[in-house]
Amino acid sequence: MSGRRPVVSLRRINAIALNTFTELTRLKVFYFLLLFALLLIGSSALMARITFQQELQVLKDVALGAMSIFASLLAILATARLLPQDVEDRTIYTILAKPVERFEYLAGKLGGVLLLLALSVLLMSVVFFVVLFLRQQTLLAETARQMTGLPSAEAADAQANIRHAGVTTTLVLAIVIIYCKAALLASLTLFISTFATTNIFTIVTTVFVYFIGHLQGTAREYWLQNAGSTVGRRLFLGAIALFFPDLQLFNVVDDVAAGAVVPVTLFAKTAGLGVAYTAIYLLFAWAVFYRKEL
Amino acid sequence: MRLGAVVIAVVLFGATKLPLEHQLDAAHRRLGLRAVEFNLDLREQIGQLGFIAALSGFRAIVADMLFIEAHAAWEQTDWARVLLLFREVTTLQPREVLFWDMAAWHMAWNASTAAVNDRSQPRETLRIKAQREYFALGKDFLERGIRNNPDRPQLYEALARLYRDKYRDHERASEWFAKAAAVPGAMSYDRRFAAYELSYCEGREQQAYERLRALYDEGEKERLPTLLKRLKFLEEQLNIPPDQRIPEVVR
Amino acid sequence: MTDPAVALEKITKTFPVPFQRRVIVALRDVSLRVSTGEIYGLLGPNGSGKSTTLKIILGLVSPTRGQVQIFGHDAASAQSRANVGFLPESPYFPKYLTAAEMLSFYGKLCGMRRRELAKRVDELLELVGLTAARDRRLGTFSKGMLQRIGLAQAVINEPEMVVLDEPTAGVDPAGTRVIRDLILELKRRGVTILLSSHLLGQVQEICDRIGILANGALVRDGRVDELLIAPDQTELVLEHASPQLVDRISKAAAEGGASVIRAAPRHRSLEQVFLEATTEK
Ligand SMILES: Nc1ncnc2c1ncn2[C@@H]1O[C@H](COP(=O)(O)OP(=O)(O)OP(=O)(O)O)[C@@H](O)[C@H]1O
Ligand SMILES: [Mg+2]
Repeated sequence: MSGRRPVVSLRRINAIALNTFTELTRLKVFYFLLLFALLLIGSSALMARITFQQELQVLKDVALGAMSIFASLLAILATARLLPQDVEDRTIYTILAKPVERFEYLAGKLGGVLLLLALSVLLMSVVFFVVLFLRQQTLLAETARQMTGLPSAEAADAQANIRHAGVTTTLVLAIVIIYCKAALLASLTLFISTFATTNIFTIVTTVFVYFIGHLQGTAREYWLQNAGSTVGRRLFLGAIALFFPDLQLFNVVDDVAAGAVVPVTLFAKTAGLGVAYTAIYLLFAWAVFYRKEL
Repeated sequence: MRLGAVVIAVVLFGATKLPLEHQLDAAHRRLGLRAVEFNLDLREQIGQLGFIAALSGFRAIVADMLFIEAHAAWEQTDWARVLLLFREVTTLQPREVLFWDMAAWHMAWNASTAAVNDRSQPRETLRIKAQREYFALGKDFLERGIRNNPDRPQLYEALARLYRDKYRDHERASEWFAKAAAVPGAMSYDRRFAAYELSYCEGREQQAYERLRALYDEGEKERLPTLLKRLKFLEEQLNIPPDQRIPEVVR
Repeated sequence: MTDPAVALEKITKTFPVPFQRRVIVALRDVSLRVSTGEIYGLLGPNGSGKSTTLKIILGLVSPTRGQVQIFGHDAASAQSRANVGFLPESPYFPKYLTAAEMLSFYGKLCGMRRRELAKRVDELLELVGLTAARDRRLGTFSKGMLQRIGLAQAVINEPEMVVLDEPTAGVDPAGTRVIRDLILELKRRGVTILLSSHLLGQVQEICDRIGILANGALVRDGRVDELLIAPDQTELVLEHASPQLVDRISKAAAEGGASVIRAAPRHRSLEQVFLEATTEK
C-alpha cells in the first residue's frame, strides 16, 4: 500500500465522465432532440426566406435560439436522471465501493454531460455555419449581379454589409456563451438532484429556477436601489437576488446576432461568470452528497 | 443539519456574486446591450406568452415573429397594425438597425403615400396632415434607433434620406449624411451625399463648393457624373475664375 | 500487530421515517471483527441488517454511532476502499457496456493502468468462465452471469478483502457451485472474504466464522465448527447396515449409558440430487 493518494484523481473523473457520456448517448430522446435541433437550424434558411431584407438576421436568430433551447433542455433533462438512475440501478454502490471520492463521482457525472453538450453544440454550430455561409454566398452573388452598373466602391460596401451579417467570429463567441449557460444549468440540475426525491421534482425545480433566473436581474437592481416599499417585498426581492443566478446576462447573444459589437473582454467576463456558477453548483452538490445515505 | 449549512453557503455565495453580476449588467448596458425593459408595458404590448418567451431567452425569435407579422400587416395595408407591431419589434430588439430602418420606411414612405392618396378622405388638408404625421412617425423611429445604435451608420443615412426625400430639407439632410460619414464603417457615398445636399442650400454655396472640390481633388474615384454636374453648377453660381474651374468632361 | 480486516465497534444505525418522529433501528450496538484471511459469513432473516452492515463497512452508509475501521482506515475515507472489492445484492451494472468494457471501467476507477488492465480483464473473464461472453452487452446477461461478472468486478484490482452481499441469491445450484469455488479460490490466495447470506447450508460449508443478526443485533458470533457442535452428541453414518445390526448397536449404546436418538435411512440433500441429474451424461 503506497502512502498518499492524490485528493482528486483526474483519471477516475475521466473514467466516470466517459462512462456517463456513453450512457447518455444510448438515450433515444437525445437523438430525437438533436435531430429536431438540426432540422430547425437547417430549415432556418427556409424560414428566413419569407422575411424581407432580414434573411441572414432571421436565420441567425432562429438557429441561435434553437441551439440555446436544445442545449438548455439537454442539460436539464440529461442531468436530472443521472443520480436517481444510478441509485435505482444500484450501480452507484459498485462505483462508490471502489476507491472513488464522492466529489470525483459528481465531477465525472457533470463532466460526461458537459462533454455531450460540447459535442452537440459543436455539431449544431457546424450545421449552422454551413447554412449561414451558403446563404451568405448566394446573397453576395445576387448583390454583385444587381449592382453591376454601380460604382465599385458602393458594391464593395454592400458586400461588406452582407459579410457583417454573415459568418463572423463574434458568432463563435456567442455560441460559447450559449454553452456556458447550458453548463451552468447542468451543474444546477446536478445540485438539485442531490437532494431531490424524484426526477420530476428536479426538472420542475430547475425550470422554475430558469424562469426566476431571467427575472433575477430586475429584482436585483430594484433591491440594490432600495426600492420596494414594504419589508416583506424587500425580503422577497433580496432572496431572489441572493438565491438565483442572473441568466439574463447570457442573453447578450441576442444582441450579438443583431450585429452589436461586443468587446472580447466582456464576452470573457460573461463566460467566466458561467464557469464560476458551474463550479460553485458542483461544490454545493458535493456538500449535500458528501455524506448522503445511499 | 447539512441542508441548513448548504443554504447558508448559497446565501454567502449570493452575496459575493451580487456585485459581480451588478457590474457585468452595468457593463452590458453601457454598451447598449440588452437594452430591453421587461415591464408591464411590454407585457401588455406583446401578450403574456410572447412576454414569457422573450423573458426566458427567446427575445430575438419573438422579435422576428412579430416582424414577419408586421410584414403581413403591410401587405394588407393595415397601417395602424404595422405601426404597433414595429413598436414591439424595436422594443424587443433595439440593436437590430434594420428593424428601425424598416419601421421608418413603412411609416414615412408607404403609409404616408397611402394617406395622401386616401380616397375615403375628401379633404386634401386632412390628407396632407395625415401624411405629415406619418413622416413624423418615421423620423421618430429613426431618432430612437440612432439613440440605441449610435455606432452604426445606416440609421443616420436613413434619416438623411427622410429629410431629403420627404421633408425636402437639404440642410438637415446634409447634416445627417455628414454624421453618417463620421461613423466608422460608413458607406463611401455618405460624404459625397452630404456635399450634394449642401449644394442645394441657398447661402451655403461657398461651403458646398469647397467640399465638392476637395472630393474632386481626391482623384478619379470621386469624380462621378452628379459630382461633376453639381460642381459645374456651383462654379457658375460663385463665378469661379476659369483657370480654377475643373476641365470640361469629355464624353 | 496487524490490523484486522474489519473492526466494527458498537455500531448503531437508525433511519429516520419521513414525516414522522419515529426512527427505524437497523443495527444496535453491533461489534464484530473479521481477521485477515478468513471467510466470515453474516446470517440473518430478511430485514435483520445484513446489507446495512456491509454498506457501513464500505462507507456507503455512515453509522449513527460507533467506529468502523477497514485495515486500520476509517471506513468513510476512500482510502479504506482501495483494498476492498464489493458485490452488492442483486447487482446491476451499466447494461450498455460489454463484459470486458465493464471490467475495465471498474478497473480504471481503482486507478489501474490500461496495459495491466487489459491483461487482468482477460484473466478474470477466464476465471469466472465468461470468456465467450466477453463482448456481449450486460443487458443480455442472465442472473447467474451477472453475479459472476459482478464477482470479477469486485476483485479487479486484486483487493485484500471482498465483501459479497448474498452472492448466490437467485443463482441455480450449478452457478452457486461455481461461485462457491471462486470464493474458495480467493481464500486460497489469501483474500479475506465477508459475505452475507440466508442459505445456511452454503454458509456452513465454506465459512470459517459466522455471525447471526436478528433484528439488528448480533446474537451469535464464532467459529462455525464450535457453534455447530451439539454438546454430548455423536453422529455415526453406516453403509449396508442391516436392521439387526442397528438393533445391536442400540443395545450396546444402552449398556454404555448412551441412547440412540434417531436411526433412519439417510437422505441425500436435494442439491446433490439436482447436481447429479443436471451434470450426468
Ligand atoms: N435507506 C433506508 N431507509 C430506511 N430504512 C432502511 C434503509 N435501508 C435499510 N433500512 C431498514 O433497515 C433494516 C435492515 O435492512 P437490511 O437491508 O440491512 O436487511 P437485510 O438483512 O439485508 O435484509 P435482506 O435479507 O432482505 O436483504 C430493514 O428494516 C430496512 O427496512
Ligand atoms: Mg440485504
